Amino acid sequence: MFYIQQIQCISPQQTFPQASLDTLLDPVNNKLNVIEPSYDGVPRNALRRMSKSVRIGVGAALPIIKNTGTHIDGIIIGTANGGMEDSIVFLKQVIEFEEGVITPGHFVQSTANATAAQLSLVSANKNYNITHVHRGHAFELALIDAAMQLRENADSNYLVGGVDEISVYNYKLDELDNWYKPAPVTAGNFYTQNTPGSVAGEAAVMLLATNDSANAIAAVIDIVTLHTTDIADVQLALQNILAKHGDTIDIFLSGENGDNRFDTFYTAVENELNNDVTVARFKHICGEYPTATSFALWFACELLSTSHIPAHAVKKQGSSSFKNVLIYNVHKGVQHSFILVRES
Amino acid sequence: MGVISAIGNTVAENHSALINGSCGIGQLQDFPSKYAGELPFAAVKLSTEKLKQILGVTDPSVTRTTLLAMAAFTEAIQDAALAAATLSSLGTALIGASTVGGMCLADELYRDANESYKESPYLSSYDCASVFLYMQKHYQLRGLINTINTACSSSANAIMYGARLIQNGLAIKAIVGGADSLSKFTINGFHALHILSPEICTPFDENRQGLNLGEGAAFLVLEKAEDAAGKKIYAEVKGYCNTTDAFHPSSLSDNGDGPYLAMQGALASAKLHAADIDFINAHGTGTENNDLAESRAMQRIFDHVPPFSSTKSFTGHTLGAAGAIEAVYSILNIINGETHPTLHFNNTIPDTGLTPVTTHQSIKAKHVMSNSFGFGGNCSSLIFSSVS
Amino acid sequence: METAVLKEQLKKQLIEFLNLTDLKPEDIKDDAPFFGDDGLGLDSIDSLELIVLLHREYGISIKDPKIGRKVLVDINTLAAFIEENRTK
Repeated sequence: MFYIQQIQCISPQQTFPQASLDTLLDPVNNKLNVIEPSYDGVPRNALRRMSKSVRIGVGAALPIIKNTGTHIDGIIIGTANGGMEDSIVFLKQVIEFEEGVITPGHFVQSTANATAAQLSLVSANKNYNITHVHRGHAFELALIDAAMQLRENADSNYLVGGVDEISVYNYKLDELDNWYKPAPVTAGNFYTQNTPGSVAGEAAVMLLATNDSANAIAAVIDIVTLHTTDIADVQLALQNILAKHGDTIDIFLSGENGDNRFDTFYTAVENELNNDVTVARFKHICGEYPTATSFALWFACELLSTSHIPAHAVKKQGSSSFKNVLIYNVHKGVQHSFILVRES
Repeated sequence: MGVISAIGNTVAENHSALINGSCGIGQLQDFPSKYAGELPFAAVKLSTEKLKQILGVTDPSVTRTTLLAMAAFTEAIQDAALAAATLSSLGTALIGASTVGGMCLADELYRDANESYKESPYLSSYDCASVFLYMQKHYQLRGLINTINTACSSSANAIMYGARLIQNGLAIKAIVGGADSLSKFTINGFHALHILSPEICTPFDENRQGLNLGEGAAFLVLEKAEDAAGKKIYAEVKGYCNTTDAFHPSSLSDNGDGPYLAMQGALASAKLHAADIDFINAHGTGTENNDLAESRAMQRIFDHVPPFSSTKSFTGHTLGAAGAIEAVYSILNIINGETHPTLHFNNTIPDTGLTPVTTHQSIKAKHVMSNSFGFGGNCSSLIFSSVS
Repeated sequence: METAVLKEQLKKQLIEFLNLTDLKPEDIKDDAPFFGDDGLGLDSIDSLELIVLLHREYGISIKDPKIGRKVLVDINTLAAFIEENRTK
């Protein structure tokens, strides 16, 4: 579908500007919070208005914008909770001041398109600009958008990103809704507790998508999204992907998040694949969040370009080949996705 | 096509209000905001309970935004005579847009987020995606589903994304549109920005005082020309373009660069000249900033600005629904060969000399442009054309 | 309140209210323009925020943003306006 020319990731681990994943930081209070950089190069007057998700989104995109200059044909962002924190901060003011005289700053920042908008401002980009917010598919739909754009406009390039933050409030709502484990979790026992719930995470991943294979980091071959609670639908979708692109998966990057309610989906997918496929996991690195597949795509690029999987990520050692990586993820039991990534 | 707004619960009701000049803006009843009695709003004339009853929804987690979306969606799929099997086909996509989503329940969100109210039925209803995730489940949809939020241009982008999915072979049919409901959240936000008009809005008037917030939803069923042969076809999605103003988080640049580029790009994508456009359904919110920037951008594109109007003078600004509602109105312009008036207009803005259409008239409307611009500088223009 | 004290207090409030975290009160000159790149670089959203600040801290209501534009110029102009119009 398209090639990834550059990719950057600000995550809860050492991934920006260079990655070093041999040692991991444990979650604190079952949250994996991002390590924020210093944001040199982001105008201070813009920075003071940015929520964390906008900051890390802009921070991760900045090296790509610098390398690419003004020749970016569009900005395509996937985010589920972008703006949630500002929304509730604004709402707090509305309620505390009984709808009296209140400041509009947080309202303006609360729109989900704030990251894409700030990126257009910092890069003075007047081209295509869109924000997909379809929760667990927001990043996949951004990738599909980029793939369509690159079919429609062959000689172009798109800045594509996935970004979400742990805000005080979205954490609270999801915690009340039983999406996080009450008992403390470490990187070591992330997958072994056999209880419902996961650990909250956040990150920003930004990439440059083009049709240019020269010096590309990887190729995104296919993206499939589906909504279902039926394992058979997921198996069928996988069979279609394997039939279409060849049953040559080397690494299965599984979105397992330690929530035992969804293990059956991941096991079913694992069982459909050949025995010699290496199975690796990534949510103990970045935590669970709606656009975590963007972190998985960054991780897939890292595996393909270094031909090395950190030991903590390996669930089952199989083939030692690093050519085809299949990412599978299910968000909250309904939103499933596959992303097939190939070495370039 | 399906639409629900302050001027009617169906396409037919909306159409009759548009040609009769019946404005939907007025006092809000039973709404939990102090501004309900102070400022004009454009509410859908059905209570949340009544909508639930009509749509047969009993799930307590469903919000008003979702109900409005379902009302318009139901009319659209009935109008297009989509069978249940077609609806559940892998090739049928739903591309929705919303900016408020479940935040129409502002007080409940505040309560749940601050007081840890575990019994709340709304814990996963507050985001915008919740609207279309519920519809996926309710209508047993199996194709690609998306939710787009580019502020006030959201549903124009949903139409564009759906059309592109079909062109790229990623969907056979796309049901596209958007929904938003009135919320204490947006009311106070726009009020804090000093852009809510204390009177009924007067788009493109010299003395305009701001916008009125509205609510509603609209959906359109899109498919390829060859697949649609022999069926009722209203119009063709002829061109579209999405650009960015890259000027300010909540206002447009003085010369309307983003709007200019969007209109220019839509013309290029439709392979049309500016002179081919017969009518424009303008964004025309009624704010000082938008109407001036949009007027200037129109003057930069068109040697002679074609007849244009803002139907927000009927429906208020329905935010994430506006692009889809106005797409339906643009198509009504085409199939009925008519203009829709801008209500309450008195004085031309001296700087531009542009006067919107203020009456319902017959015109040749082969190509109609619809503009939608939003916070963050997101600008989109769509062009619809007659098929005959 | 002495003008100098008011100005110092205003600078602190400006920093806190507008989240100008990289500035200290002494960095803001009395005649540095609020708007534009050669001063504090504030924008129209900041001016709405400052109108709220005037309301909350000094009991001054500005209904017409055009009046706001005349007084939200620099610390000198704003302090003079507050001294003349404050109700608390």
